[in-house]
Amino acid sequence: MFNKRTLSIIKRELREKVLSRSFIFMTLLIPVIMFGSLGLQMVLINYDSNSNASLQVTCESSQLAVAVGSEFAKLPQVIDGNFKITYNFMLENDFEKMLPLLKKDLLNGKLTGVLFIPNSALIDKKINYYSKNPNNALLFNKFRSLINSALINLHFSEKQLSEKEISYAGKGVDFNGFRISNDKNIKAEGIGNQVVSFLFTFLLYISLLLSGTMMMRSVVLEKNNKIVEVLLSSVNSKELMTGKIVGTSITGVAQMAVWLLPLIMVISSSLFVLPKDFTIDISLSQVAFVLFNFLIGLITFLGLFATVGAIFDNDQDAQSGIWPIMLLVMIPFFIGITLVNNPENTIGIIASMMPFASIIVMPARMTLVDIPFWQFALAVFVNLATLIIIFPLAGKIYRVGILMSGKKPKWSEVIRWLKYKY
Amino acid sequence: MHVLEVKNLVKTFNGLRAVDDVSFIIPEGSVFGLIGRNGAGKTTTIRMMMNIYLPDSGEVLLQGAKAGQDFKDKVGYLPEERGLYKKMKVLETLLFFAELKGKTGKSVEKKALEYLERFQLADRKNSKLEDLSKGNQQKVQFIITILHDPEFIILDEPFTGLDPINTNLLKEIILELKKQGKVIIFSTHLMDFAERMCDHITMIDKGKLILNGSLSDIKSRYEQRNVSINYLGDVSFLKSNPMIEKIVEYGNSSSIKVREPQQVQQLLKILVDNNIIVTKFAVNEISLQEIFVELAGNNNINVNSAEVKNV
Repeated sequence: MFNKRTLSIIKRELREKVLSRSFIFMTLLIPVIMFGSLGLQMVLINYDSNSNASLQVTCESSQLAVAVGSEFAKLPQVIDGNFKITYNFMLENDFEKMLPLLKKDLLNGKLTGVLFIPNSALIDKKINYYSKNPNNALLFNKFRSLINSALINLHFSEKQLSEKEISYAGKGVDFNGFRISNDKNIKAEGIGNQVVSFLFTFLLYISLLLSGTMMMRSVVLEKNNKIVEVLLSSVNSKELMTGKIVGTSITGVAQMAVWLLPLIMVISSSLFVLPKDFTIDISLSQVAFVLFNFLIGLITFLGLFATVGAIFDNDQDAQSGIWPIMLLVMIPFFIGITLVNNPENTIGIIASMMPFASIIVMPARMTLVDIPFWQFALAVFVNLATLIIIFPLAGKIYRVGILMSGKKPKWSEVIRWLKYKY
Repeated sequence: MHVLEVKNLVKTFNGLRAVDDVSFIIPEGSVFGLIGRNGAGKTTTIRMMMNIYLPDSGEVLLQGAKAGQDFKDKVGYLPEERGLYKKMKVLETLLFFAELKGKTGKSVEKKALEYLERFQLADRKNSKLEDLSKGNQQKVQFIITILHDPEFIILDEPFTGLDPINTNLLKEIILELKKQGKVIIFSTHLMDFAERMCDHITMIDKGKLILNGSLSDIKSRYEQRNVSINYLGDVSFLKSNPMIEKIVEYGNSSSIKVREPQQVQQLLKILVDNNIIVTKFAVNEISLQEIFVELAGNNNINVNSAEVKNV
């Protein structure tokens, strides 16, 4: 299977892929997109929070107005002058009479909103907000805790409590996660590993899709452009398929290594210091496992993509015929991203050792919880076994398929190809 | 001596016998024609010879031993369905396909450049194939077929889709290779062409071998005994001649059939001896096409005369 001819095919595949503009572009672009989209989100949030708003805060008592006003004064947007807030106090009846007069300003945008805080809020914490856009979560999130602490301060001020006690009452509960593992130390867990888990899931998914589609198109192209028979006059179909898959696998793993390079640098050197909440607790050998497990999985998947490519003789038919394989990539992806909620759910545990699924799910899971060695071993073993079972079948269909042309074959016919003596 | 032997090849697709017990021998230094109409099983036979298809039964022998990868390395194959990587450059493509045949290094590159020069493509060596005209792409395809200096050249319907200039070019190459003593194997449905180029013929129809042998043998076996003449005078004396099997007179032209092919010359002599003024004497030589029709019992052969004319 491996010989000089296979090597020639591998070399050609590498030349064609690694040196192609689209490969270099995607290799650089994916991290840019990932971090860019995070950055863009920040920019958008920032942009929004800096936008101007003018609010009227009406309280039923002057004490309330003063308490809320002193809390609001802490908002950076108020300090910047981007938020213009006017305070007044009046009884609910008067406010209801005034509301129709405010309507015009609210509708033409002179006023962003009117906040009415009745005295009853000191008992039930219920307040009213009047606006063209009353569901502005961004605004609520900024004011909610401020109003809460204003109400708490006021509520407890008559009860002669110390400031310490009041500030305690105003606090929410803060979970600190500690990961118990076989390690000597019990380490505090930040969200760093959750980010890495998501990163693995996303990158593995993207890479399987990119490499797989690339493989499929390349097989369809050889078939469609009638190159395949010229090739087969020199090599046999096994050598051709092996060469193509090995070439594309090398490309895929190299690309993955480039994508993981920032992570590898962060965990292997002390030059990069991450904020405490973002510390990443995974080892280099785990990254090596990800790459190795990915390589086995990639070879299996590429075999399947190549087979589907060989069945069809144009891109459109191949795209519509690829869905069973796509499901094998997408379902593990969804399991992978939901794993963050509870890495020890049964589906996650099973999927992390299932054929095909383990390629994506195991790396995501292992960054979140400690996994016994036998589970790693089982995942690798299952992947290798899948590869060994799938390959001869895929090779057979490939061999028959690449020389078939004409009408689109039915799946039943493809199954029959397995029995052909070719 | 025969270098290549095809023995009892059988190939079935979905219950249809595409190739049905076909055997033939390809002698050394021959130009061998595998002929038959479209869909007769020519390409399937060639694919089995090339080890692209596994035969259901039968075998292909190269110098007495089963042909395998060693045969592939010695063959230059121009399939009927041919194509190239459009994004690859010309020289790169040539070197890649030579590498697959096990030929690498400076000597191949030098040879590739020589061929490009000869085919007037030297200035396009670094162009992508998609930027070349169709005719030039065909030239690159020929060079691929012969660059690794193969001992056997298999050409499957080589003239389909070729422009007249490339048709001549290919013909030239074939003759040149023939002079070098290479074995050339053609498959074609163009009987006229096969008749002109080949010295050995195998005819297959519906997967079955119907004729096999050297062209001269075949021709003599089916030699024509029909003569048509135009003349001035009276030829009724011929009716009593024992060598005449049949004569049909139309006034001053006649259609005559002699008993043996070699009697044609005697017929001419008798006519002259009897003071007949012969204005036209035509021996209707049988064509491969007629032999085929006679054997296959069907005259629906797709012979496009315009296609043949260029050959």
